[in-house]
Amino acid sequence: MVEKGQIKTFARKFVPRIFRAALLAVVTYLPFFFLSSFTEPFQSFFPWYAPLTSMLFVTAFIIFLVAGVLTYGTIYQYVFGVARTLVMMIFFIYVLNGGDVALSVPIEGITANITVDLRVILAMLVLVCLLGIGKNVIQAIDFVSAKIETEKEQLV
Amino acid sequence: MKYVVRALGWATKILWILIIVFLVTSVYSAMNVRIGFGDPQVVLSNEFVVISIPLFINNTGLYDLSELNITADVMDHNQSLLSTSTTFVPLIPRGSSVETAQNISISLDNIMSKAQIYLFNDTDFDVNMLAKLNFAHAIPFQVSTNMTIPWGAPLYNFSIGQISYNYLNLTHQEAIILISFENHSPYFGVNGTMQVEIYNDNNEPLGASVSDLNVPSYSSYNGQVGIIVDLSKITGRGEVHFYFETSAFSFGPVVMPYG
Repeated sequence: MVEKGQIKTFARKFVPRIFRAALLAVVTYLPFFFLSSFTEPFQSFFPWYAPLTSMLFVTAFIIFLVAGVLTYGTIYQYVFGVARTLVMMIFFIYVLNGGDVALSVPIEGITANITVDLRVILAMLVLVCLLGIGKNVIQAIDFVSAKIETEKEQLV
Repeated sequence: MKYVVRALGWATKILWILIIVFLVTSVYSAMNVRIGFGDPQVVLSNEFVVISIPLFINNTGLYDLSELNITADVMDHNQSLLSTSTTFVPLIPRGSSVETAQNISISLDNIMSKAQIYLFNDTDFDVNMLAKLNFAHAIPFQVSTNMTIPWGAPLYNFSIGQISYNYLNLTHQEAIILISFENHSPYFGVNGTMQVEIYNDNNEPLGASVSDLNVPSYSSYNGQVGIIVDLSKITGRGEVHFYFETSAFSFGPVVMPYG
């Protein structure tokens, strides 16, 4: 009877989270999928970009996202949040080749070498990621301090 | 703590919106910048060949283009630098267009110092072009390319035929020299004069004459020059010296042996 009740509580707690995690994973993967399909014909212009490496980043991001949703209400939620944002930051640095994008485009028999310095945009993206990390860290501190205060109140 | 978290959340959202708006408008603006080149014009002055390439930029995007800098280096087949030219446009504001020209000046002295190559042989010039600009005052952008410009020799395949003599009197004859060449230059015609001097094998001058030349681009010249020569000095062998004075170049002597 107790076991049945525990399973019921567990299911009530985790099934919505699993659905939410699955939904978020799909929602996260879809833009990447469409973007990859859209950029596939131009991949020869971006020699540093390997789709497999990008797939690894996306997989890591989705794993941390799912783990964060499943550990909702614990300190690990924020740990996975930081990890997810770090993966995103490294992904941006990788995709933008450190802000220095160079490509060779053949135009009417001659090859034009195009270099775009995207360091400003990369800096903005890194800043967003750092803000995300900062937010997760502060939330983690808040979570721990709130937990300690609750425990103290219970002891008193 | 809650307020800090909320502020960070808002800051992150606002920054994301700014980045997305900037990226979308940048791509839109970049697609609305029209760059075009006109037909190159070749201007000959006393000391330079100036190849002027008209350039127009129509910026109908949302951001300014600034510090447009176009540099063109012209090198000969040995990769030695013949010319460097730069065009600088400080600002192309949004919604405006700019017309300018990239002027590539090549010193004729530079070319004429290698005249034996450039006057008589077709060759190629390598042009390295580099264009830099700042997009929206934030994104430096540069395009570089190298291309080959063919150089057509104005006196290609310059040659003389067997010299024949027309009897004039007991002391003098008229030497007839057949001359032929092809003007392969796409840039200029060979218009001017050609002075011809004939020497015997003792290096004594036999006579001289000046002829007009009018050979347009991509056409050939087949002509003859008649020179009154002293019969007593004719040895049957020697040299013919040619001096060219044209609107494009002055060059001489071109020494051709005969006999």
